[in-house]
Amino acid sequence: MNENLLTVSTSPHILGRMSVRSMYLEYIIALAPALLVGLYYFGFPALITVLLAVASAAVSDFIASKIQKKPTTLSSLHIVCMGLMLGMILPPGAPWWLPVIGGALTVFLGISIFGGIGAYPMNPVLVAWVALYISWPESMNAFFEPQALGNGDDWAEAETLLMQLKGDISTLEMVEMSKLWLGQVPGYIGSTSTWALLVGGVYLIIRRIIPWQIPVGALLGAIVMGLIATYTDPRILELGYEEFAANMNVVWFHLGAGGLMIAAFFLGPEPVSSPVTPWGTFLFGVGIGLMTIIVRTWGGLVDGAFYGVLLMNAANPLLDRIRPRVIGKVVSGA
Amino acid sequence: MKLANLLKGIRLPRPPAAAPPVDLPAPEKVYLPLRQHRGAVAQAKVEPGEQVALGQVVGASEEFESATVQATVSGVVEAIVETVDPAGQKVPAVVIKNDGADAWAEDTALGESLTDPAGVKGTRPSRLLKRLREAGLVRAQVEGRPLHVDLSPPMAPQSYLYMTGIPVVRPVDTLIISAVDADPPVCPNQSCLGQSIEELSVGVAALARISGAKRVILALPSGSDTAAIAAMAGPYEWEIASVSQTAYPFATDNFLVQSLTGREVPTPYGEPKDVGVVLQPMISAMDVGKVLMSGRPVIDRIFSVAGEVKNPQTFRVRLGTPISEVLAAAGGGPSRPGKIIVGGPMMGLAIFDPATPVTRETEGVFVQSAAKVVAYADHPCIHCGRCVAACPVNLIPSELGKLCEFRMYEQAADMDLMNCIECGCCAYVCPAKRPMVHFLRHGKTEVLAGRME
Repeated sequence: MNENLLTVSTSPHILGRMSVRSMYLEYIIALAPALLVGLYYFGFPALITVLLAVASAAVSDFIASKIQKKPTTLSSLHIVCMGLMLGMILPPGAPWWLPVIGGALTVFLGISIFGGIGAYPMNPVLVAWVALYISWPESMNAFFEPQALGNGDDWAEAETLLMQLKGDISTLEMVEMSKLWLGQVPGYIGSTSTWALLVGGVYLIIRRIIPWQIPVGALLGAIVMGLIATYTDPRILELGYEEFAANMNVVWFHLGAGGLMIAAFFLGPEPVSSPVTPWGTFLFGVGIGLMTIIVRTWGGLVDGAFYGVLLMNAANPLLDRIRPRVIGKVVSGA
Repeated sequence: MKLANLLKGIRLPRPPAAAPPVDLPAPEKVYLPLRQHRGAVAQAKVEPGEQVALGQVVGASEEFESATVQATVSGVVEAIVETVDPAGQKVPAVVIKNDGADAWAEDTALGESLTDPAGVKGTRPSRLLKRLREAGLVRAQVEGRPLHVDLSPPMAPQSYLYMTGIPVVRPVDTLIISAVDADPPVCPNQSCLGQSIEELSVGVAALARISGAKRVILALPSGSDTAAIAAMAGPYEWEIASVSQTAYPFATDNFLVQSLTGREVPTPYGEPKDVGVVLQPMISAMDVGKVLMSGRPVIDRIFSVAGEVKNPQTFRVRLGTPISEVLAAAGGGPSRPGKIIVGGPMMGLAIFDPATPVTRETEGVFVQSAAKVVAYADHPCIHCGRCVAACPVNLIPSELGKLCEFRMYEQAADMDLMNCIECGCCAYVCPAKRPMVHFLRHGKTEVLAGRME
């Protein structure tokens, strides 16, 4: 073979630097601030839960690839990222087998059954999360009172703010907003700190890994729906807010509490299961925001963010039909 | 438009400041393909063994869409052989052995010389056009059309414009001279910026006179030194626009027309002329000026060498010089050559024979070593949507790629596959490294083949 033969191929002859691996690596980097805040407040049990979720997902993927006689795709970090996200939306007090089963469900039920990366219609992390929540509700609600790192191992059981809100509307008035946005409240390991999630999410938008329309749409939908709820919901009307700022405070509470932020910035825009068209992504986000507040205010469930993502995932094929106008396309009869 | 350009497409690294072109000595032998343009092959007008002078016609054709070929060295015609042109097609070529005399033929005078734009304005457009046709100028791009075809009004109404609301025959009212290189770092236009101002002014005036354009826009790369050109353009009220070089592909023809005039060029079959705009690269305008001022055909071409060569630079090369000799003059390519790409890295064509001659269609090469040659992957689409965000014409490349991969060409055509401009942004941003442009090109070919039946 002549070594000086030239290669001939179709253009382009240079490619961008991003690969599937680097894309998910950056996803993990963006998740890191929220995860670190979670580990700081929930300590050792949280660490074990997250590690078990990641390990279980990785092992399951290895088994799944062996069954399908395909080469394993662990090096792409896709599975690791999925396991990490699952760990971040489990409660710190979960028994050891919960993340293990969750990781397996993520891979088998969420990903492999549809044909692997690129093929699954719904966010596999949330598929697993819903399966766990339906099957073991009490284990999925094992929340701890947060305490800073190094304050011993006695974890006081606690209820999340949204659970308290369901029973007692005056929670709204007792909550310290700075603590809520900082993440110093009971909740899922990685979803409590609004600021940390915001930092990671903005990083992903700047790196063009997630479309900006989904988070913006979700937050916008939540703000609009939150305002509608504060002005119409009889329970909130009883509190007798008159000024706009007071009503807006309820909206800030909703933005900071529960799973809205992680759903808007990480779970919803998950590359494979989110839509791709500009208006499709925006409506996808708005749907998440609306669902979150509707469920929280009038629904039977505690938080609607994760269900909102799954519902909008189901609407994906429809949303992807909203195409932008093709530039230069000649329209007949125009 | 500016904001849309920021959000769409891709950002390429800014090319290094281009030095003025360096004259390359005439080679020992030139290979002059008899088709250096899109259209009919010219017939050879010389026999092997004949003595030819510079500028003597060696190939010509009666066809309208064809360009005359002139000798670019003086010497003896050795043979008429078959060679490959930059597009990879076989084409007959006249081989001339250089005798080093560089003696001009006596009857190459294409009419009296015009030395300033005022003289151009006093000449009838048809006479100018005839001289350009005799000089055989060609738009510098692979599959480029002869300049006289580019400038003539359409021979017949364009059928694809019926029922569209766009006037079927629209007089040309705007001329855009683009000094922006769409596909950096191959920058022949930029390296000529500020050079041969007189030729440029005559050329621009002639192009405006021939096309009938009232408005002339000079598109210059942003951040470049434009004082000389601004001084030239001032007296004639030619507008100057600044265009980013790094926002790819917004310096290509259709996008330039859209951002400078606000008119949208219809795709896939349309061209700027359909919306009343003629667009020519600056080096074409300089060639026009040179022809009109000297009364002689153009025997050389501005040719950029970029990428992994020792001294990337721009040369003034005799037409018909093998590309390998130009590479040698640039300090030689990498020890293990990978690709030699005619055009830029994003839209260029990889050639397989380094002896391919420099023709009127080429504007430069981009050289890659074997280590830098990119590998596409057989990875499923991960549906991340990065290509949708990047596509400058608002297609859904991910879906089109999947449809074309699985041979559903007509469904892809229903989703505007044919409007793809093959700029390569989707493949550039794809994290799965799918050969997007390959899929879409293949799909387009299949759709056209299917419609032919």
